[in-house]
Amino acid sequence: MTIRMGTMVSASNGRHGDSYGDMPLVVERLDKRYKGGVRANRGISFEAYPGEVLGILGPNGAGKTTLVRQITTELLPTSGEIRVFGVDAVSDPIGVKNLMGIVPQEAQLFDMLTPRETFRIFGKLRGLSGRDANRRAEGLLSELRLEAHGNAINMKLSGGLKRRVMIGIAAVADPGLIVLDEPTTGLDPQSRRDLWNLVQEHRARGAAILMTTHYMEEAEALCDRVGIISKGRLMSLDSVAGLKSAHGFDFKVTYSANGENGATETIYGKDDHALVEQVRAKGIRQFSVNRTTLEDVYLALTGDEVKRGGYSA
Amino acid sequence: MAIRTANKVAAQQGLVTGWRKFFSDVASVFEIRLILMRRSWYWYMMGTLVFPMGMFYFASALAPDNPEAIRRAMIGSMVFGATMLATTMLGQSLLFDRFQHRLKLIITMPVSRVAYAFGVLAFGGVLSGSAVGILMVAALIAGVDFHFTWAVLPIVAMTLLTMSGLTLFVVSYAPSPEAGSIMSNLLGILLALVSPVYFSMEQAPAVMKAFGWVSPLRYAADGMMKSLSGQSDVLVEIAVLGMFAAVCMGIGLWKLRWREN
Repeated sequence: MTIRMGTMVSASNGRHGDSYGDMPLVVERLDKRYKGGVRANRGISFEAYPGEVLGILGPNGAGKTTLVRQITTELLPTSGEIRVFGVDAVSDPIGVKNLMGIVPQEAQLFDMLTPRETFRIFGKLRGLSGRDANRRAEGLLSELRLEAHGNAINMKLSGGLKRRVMIGIAAVADPGLIVLDEPTTGLDPQSRRDLWNLVQEHRARGAAILMTTHYMEEAEALCDRVGIISKGRLMSLDSVAGLKSAHGFDFKVTYSANGENGATETIYGKDDHALVEQVRAKGIRQFSVNRTTLEDVYLALTGDEVKRGGYSA
Repeated sequence: MAIRTANKVAAQQGLVTGWRKFFSDVASVFEIRLILMRRSWYWYMMGTLVFPMGMFYFASALAPDNPEAIRRAMIGSMVFGATMLATTMLGQSLLFDRFQHRLKLIITMPVSRVAYAFGVLAFGGVLSGSAVGILMVAALIAGVDFHFTWAVLPIVAMTLLTMSGLTLFVVSYAPSPEAGSIMSNLLGILLALVSPVYFSMEQAPAVMKAFGWVSPLRYAADGMMKSLSGQSDVLVEIAVLGMFAAVCMGIGLWKLRWREN
């Protein structure tokens, strides 16, 4: 397959662009209110660019899965707009699904099919002809390093291998947008790394990847930009470095105020020397100094209390 | 406009679109079922044989010893077997797809719910059709006096569509796989045993007679009885079953959840 679905390679610059909308994903003022009155998404707007991994972080119940389910057309928005390569997700769900690959959070493989059969049949469901679907199935087995398991039934595969098959289903027609809802939940570290590599391969080919995750280190390692959702709102969206910088967290000092057995406290600031001086001034001699992580920014944005050494401690 | 645009993109990529895509989707969903069946064909075969054959021999043993009564026992077993296979096996498949989150995987594909439903129903139809065929062969071997006429085919098809539509509806409403399983079994048993299937309307007790007027299986059994007795005046039964099929499939497809509000 030489042309990515939903995009055409521009002859002038070699980058992906097309006459139906350059942007793989545009979400505008998205609002979702469930029948019971719960407002799961509030005025969310963002775009996903070609060749980037966009991560969505948020605590349980923040509205991540609601957001993803609306993008994948499984759930109707209350208001707002979702466009995939310029195609409206509300009025043309089938058209939108032609342009993106999806790995839903809870979906299960058909246990008694083999990966080879799965890729072939789902290739046809994506619109490939029988011959192309056969060819693509063989290609995917090789790309996903599943050749040795091609004829084993899905039920016998490990969790990591099953997740690879899921990624294969999403990538079967080489879409320009791939949506992954918590793709590495429950995987062992090695399987998680394997999956990261697959995501990076698709990014390198120019696909936009939208993924939700609970894992900070995953978002830090994999995502070009990270959006943090809390209580249905998109609190912040930037690169990891940008997020840290925007919130004034470069360093943190962790110490125990009441000796070894006391609860630990953490203060944050831009200058590590100033933070150390501040702790020493309290008569504390044992402490650790670290660079702040995405988790610190996340905790601050999602409502957990932190002390900002440089500002208010 | 957006639909045209998306289809244009799909066509540009050399993807299958339009009606060809619809039929390809039906075939792909059917193929999934067929592969699943191939991997444990013996249980499917047992299911296809045991239901109708068991009921046929049971009903034959109880029926008076005349050709008319034995023919009715055969037809009752055909309707009962096809109905139970349609409701239980189809119900189980749909319940597993829904509650084990396999349906979700299909929903992520550019596939319409009608194509999915028809793929699953086609498989249910093959199973139920096989049961009817096997019973005819068994009846021939047992020396039952009947004449095959082509009018049987639309009657069987309409009956299966009706039962499949009702099963789709029931399964879509099921709050859990356990409840869904009970609901689909009940549907089959209720319709097949409370309708006058193993005997005519005239012979049925008052309650069953009343139920028989609104039960599609009564029309199925009567239509098959007529057509396998060599009579050709089955248009009324086909028309009534056609209406049942249209309404039940319509309701079933309407309730099949592909997108939530």
